[in-house]
Amino acid sequence: MIAQKFEYTAPKSLDEALHLLASGAKPLAGGMSLIPMMKLRLAAPEHLVDLRTIKDLNYIREAGGQLHIGATASHYEIESSALLRQKCPLLTETAAAIGDVQVRNMGTIGGSVAHADPAADYPAALQALEAKFVLNGAKSERTVSAADFFVDAFTTTLEPGEILREVIVPIDDARTGTSYQKMVQPASGFAIVGVAVRVRQNARKVSFARIGVTGLSNHAYRATAAEKALEGKTPSANDIQNAAALVAQGVDANSDLHASADYRKHLAAVHAARAIKSAISRIT
Amino acid sequence: MATTTTKTETFVGKRIRRREDPRLITGTATYVEDIQMPGMHYAVILRSPHAAARIRSIDTKKAVSAPGVVCVFTGKDTKGVGAVPCGVAMPDLRVPQHTILATERVYFVGHPVAVVVARDRYLARDAADLIEVDYEVLPAVADPEKALAKGAPAVHPQWPDNVAFTYHQDGGNIDKAFAEADVVVKQRIVSQRLVPMAMETRGVVAEWRGADRQLNLYTSTQIPHLVRTIVAAMLGLEENRMRVIAPEVGGGFGSKLNVYAEEALMGYVSMKIQKPVKWIESRRENFTCTIHGRGHVDYYEVAAKRDGTILGIKLKLIQDVGAYHQLLTPLIPQLSVLMMPGLYNTQNIRGDIIGVFTNCVPTDAYRGAGRPEATHGIERMVDILAAELKMDPAEIRLKNFVTKDKFPYPTATGLMYDSGDYATPLKKALDLVGYVKLRQEQADLRKQGKYMGIGISTYGEICAIGPSPATPAGGWESATVKIEPSGKVTILTGACPHGQGEETTFAQIAADELGVGLDDILVIRGDTAVVQYGIGTFGSRATAVGGTALYYALQDLKAKIKKFGEMLLESDDVSLMIGQVIDNKSGKAKTFQEIAGAAYRALKLPPNTEPGLLATRFWEPPNFTFPFGAHIVVTDIDDETGQIKIRRYVAVDDCGNILNPLIVDGQVHGGVAQGLGQALWEQAVYDDNGQLVTGELTDYAVPRAQMMPWIESHHTCTPSPINPLGVKGVGEAGTIGCSPAVVNSVVDALSPLGVRHLDMPLTPEKIWKVVAKKN
Amino acid sequence: MKISGSYNLPVAPERAYQILQDPAILAQAMPGCESLEQIGPDEYRMKMKVLLAALSGQFEGKVRIADQAPPTSFRLIVEGSGRIGFLKGDGLLKLSPPDAGAAGLTVVSYEGDAQVGGTMAAVGQRLIDGTAKMMIRKFFDKLASLAG
Ligand SMILES: Cc1cc2nc3c(=O)[nH]c(=O)nc-3n(C[C@H](O)[C@H](O)[C@H](O)COP(=O)(O)OP(=O)(O)OC[C@H]3O[C@@H](n4cnc5c(N)ncnc54)[C@H](O)[C@@H]3O)c2cc1C
Repeated sequence: MIAQKFEYTAPKSLDEALHLLASGAKPLAGGMSLIPMMKLRLAAPEHLVDLRTIKDLNYIREAGGQLHIGATASHYEIESSALLRQKCPLLTETAAAIGDVQVRNMGTIGGSVAHADPAADYPAALQALEAKFVLNGAKSERTVSAADFFVDAFTTTLEPGEILREVIVPIDDARTGTSYQKMVQPASGFAIVGVAVRVRQNARKVSFARIGVTGLSNHAYRATAAEKALEGKTPSANDIQNAAALVAQGVDANSDLHASADYRKHLAAVHAARAIKSAISRIT
Repeated sequence: MATTTTKTETFVGKRIRRREDPRLITGTATYVEDIQMPGMHYAVILRSPHAAARIRSIDTKKAVSAPGVVCVFTGKDTKGVGAVPCGVAMPDLRVPQHTILATERVYFVGHPVAVVVARDRYLARDAADLIEVDYEVLPAVADPEKALAKGAPAVHPQWPDNVAFTYHQDGGNIDKAFAEADVVVKQRIVSQRLVPMAMETRGVVAEWRGADRQLNLYTSTQIPHLVRTIVAAMLGLEENRMRVIAPEVGGGFGSKLNVYAEEALMGYVSMKIQKPVKWIESRRENFTCTIHGRGHVDYYEVAAKRDGTILGIKLKLIQDVGAYHQLLTPLIPQLSVLMMPGLYNTQNIRGDIIGVFTNCVPTDAYRGAGRPEATHGIERMVDILAAELKMDPAEIRLKNFVTKDKFPYPTATGLMYDSGDYATPLKKALDLVGYVKLRQEQADLRKQGKYMGIGISTYGEICAIGPSPATPAGGWESATVKIEPSGKVTILTGACPHGQGEETTFAQIAADELGVGLDDILVIRGDTAVVQYGIGTFGSRATAVGGTALYYALQDLKAKIKKFGEMLLESDDVSLMIGQVIDNKSGKAKTFQEIAGAAYRALKLPPNTEPGLLATRFWEPPNFTFPFGAHIVVTDIDDETGQIKIRRYVAVDDCGNILNPLIVDGQVHGGVAQGLGQALWEQAVYDDNGQLVTGELTDYAVPRAQMMPWIESHHTCTPSPINPLGVKGVGEAGTIGCSPAVVNSVVDALSPLGVRHLDMPLTPEKIWKVVAKKN
Repeated sequence: MKISGSYNLPVAPERAYQILQDPAILAQAMPGCESLEQIGPDEYRMKMKVLLAALSGQFEGKVRIADQAPPTSFRLIVEGSGRIGFLKGDGLLKLSPPDAGAAGLTVVSYEGDAQVGGTMAAVGQRLIDGTAKMMIRKFFDKLASLAG
């Protein structure tokens, strides 16, 4: 459990970091995914650039009717943010479901999103929230939607030298309810499956539904068929079951020691139904 | 001569906080990893990635010339070092030559192949990657039942049937019992391989002092003296030229009740390079080269009368040995056979063990060592029998218990249960959990299609290991008590506590006996140069055996103190009281300090008395002790996901007299945590090629604090007549009682679906498959 | 570990069969392939660099093609090892026109066994299945783009 030799830089500014990254260095955030891999020598970056020493990457704030979260906001900072609890409870609920206390103290939202572990929790919520990610390179800045960002297992649209600088999520009105339901893999803490639901009702009718699913396949995705099945309905228990059953439809499900593909699909439907019910019940 | 001991403040029996904890929780304890020495070198071990392979060649050239590297050793270099020993002698035991580094072949993933020594550990690790080993990969077998099948790859080519040993034990008349039975129930029960997972991995620092011809070995072990005897012999060193120190040991659970290749290897390296060398096991290594536990496939048959009376028990036990025997490997399943009858009054048993070689890490003692497997088996079988006869599981147990008038009770397996009252803890647990009401609630829930289960396990165990004839290396324990010239008390124990709290409980015993305060007492363990020979800490023995040795040493010392008191007070009627000796007639007193001062100054001595205040005792126990208890677990099953929720966990343990209830609770809690680990989460899974696929904590699910249910811990007290303290031992009770209670509970919950047995771990998917079938 | 699946290539079976055995094309399509040189009839030496998020590993190994039945099936045997572990795969690839019989299309279905060893096997249970699928998907995507 001894990493290969590497250089480490603690830059003060984003520009400095981007400059180093442009010449092949790798960003280090909470280190909760990267460092274990380095210790096992599954990863051997030659140069790490610590993003946590850049003060202006750590913030959670409201601006222009949206919420802006800096890349190095830790899971704990998100979980305990009064602003997010009030204006984006889905994110605080999801953050609180990640791993254990130590991991939440160290891990960051930017690291989790950039790493794109197929079983990570945030991506489900961020899909449901239709989040946007601001990506910066040494000479570029672009904004990518969650729907376009996650490409495959551990694969995103981030280009070499680019970092995820900020996560932007919308502020929902009071007629919106959200919920994140997760089945925990007992060894790692990751999601066997996790389903994030965001529903809006208008006169008891679902006017809008967004469902993000993680853990089930190569990357988190939006279950659009299930969303459509809910929209326009005043959903009965049966409607909810039927919609939930659609979240795993046609998905090439993951299978491992902890859960077979069939079980995962089943769990996705169960957790979707629970999340939908819970989200609706939370609409004030 | 009338002398009495009177005390005002006593400590035994009180919830006293552990005196060892402040250093443990403030990060100031010294573990092997914390030891630094001038000139220290670091070793990294290259291990086989294959489960079975022939080594064609090893090329160490690049590694040797890498920066900072001092040398690289392979099996060719270490041929002169003795083999890692198996401490168990049995007829027909096949013992493969277990060299400290692989020579021609590797037998399991993790098998040590070469050691790189460098001036820092980073350079050593880098250089390990430069060693080129040319392996000819051979077919492997990782499953003991597959290894027994015809045509299976031979783990050791000289033994194509893969049988490591067999063992047979008959008691009573088993054939008659089965012939007379109204019912016979049979079940295959797996007790899966587990990884012991001490928080501190193993580690060794070896320091050879050439000029003194002295080897100091710091190692994370439960048995420093045995390590000294064995490693000295492996290295061809005189035993008194070797000093073994077990500094703070961060958990062992049996995994450090062993002598490992790396202990001798580091001694060898230090002697070669004439410098101190350190090796710290990584967690990855811990998974693949420290012993595993359990690894049974058990075939049970129980014969009974229609009224539930158990007539006889048969067990065919297949023990997954792994590639080698470690110190006690073949002994562990024998403990299972000894425990076969559990708490039940049957005189007919038949136990057959087949030990099987596989291309896996060797198995050996893990918390409970053979007894959890046995208890799991018999407690599952009793439930299966109850279901077959449509009897209540509590009732069938009460019917078959050895009753309390029968002690000492000889078992069909040749044990003599010391004392017991098995019905009382069960009845207490039933009351505490509200059994009758729960059964009503269960009936109501079943009508609603909900699954709730109540699981009972009534366990017994073999503790205070043990009488010397029953152990490979002596079953006694030693203690020295010294009163220093200043009157302070030092205890040297031959046991080697590593988390069990004897620094506190031994001080409690001594404080009460001598009438001094806890702070006047220091307990020292784990250093062969300081402590007289001892056996170590395992098998719930440290207090029952080591504490008894201490007790007798204290009696010797008290007698001597009194003699000095009588002399100084010029009286023949004195009492020992709160740090002083009092003349019962005049009321005059001499403090401990005064007495110690006189004993060491030695201007005048009592008749036939030597100077100094020191006593040493080696105590040989006449028997084991047999604690027991009842655990009841109430579970609710989420039929959509298969998840098990533990609603109640009631433990009523009887470990004899309790010296410190706080420590006993801690032992029960930790034991239950590991029992739950086996019941619900943990499994060492090898694939067909012998790769350990649960080889890290991302896939091997050890219990964490947030996964624990609330444990309601209660006790009954049946003192042991075996030792004057009346204690039995509690280190393993929680683990032994737990897993069958959990599985019985879940099987009970699912019994409306026709479920009779489920193997551990009870993963949600396993449960879901059962529940989904009915839907 | 069992691996199976299928993929549609936008060329006729004969062409599909041909490109699936063309070292130059395979070298381009295999994710991370750095070189593929022929060392015997139907046998190639391969160097590969796997880059997956933070994970990186160099592999060296052999690829062998056997049981050729053009244009319908062949066996592919892959062996590779590197510092982070080793892998062995043995699979049967079957090529057929799609049921609907559309011309210029081939359904490649594959079925086989993969063995993974070393650090990868011990720490990657959660990831191996998904990663294997992804690599296969990437391979066929690239192959499809090179097929025309
Ligand atoms: C025991 C344990 C349990 C865990 N349980 C869970 C769980 O239940 N759910 C869950 O979702 N996660 C879990 N995790 C993962 C955890 O949330 C990680 O913190 C997270 O996935 C990665 O974030 P990090 O800040 O630690 O990133 P790092 O490990 O520092 O980096 C991860 C990768 O992302 C890159 N990177 C980091 N930041 C950026 C950026 N801003 N822009 C571009 N690239 C970047 C790095 O170069 C690296 O490749 C667990 C981890 C551990 C160790």
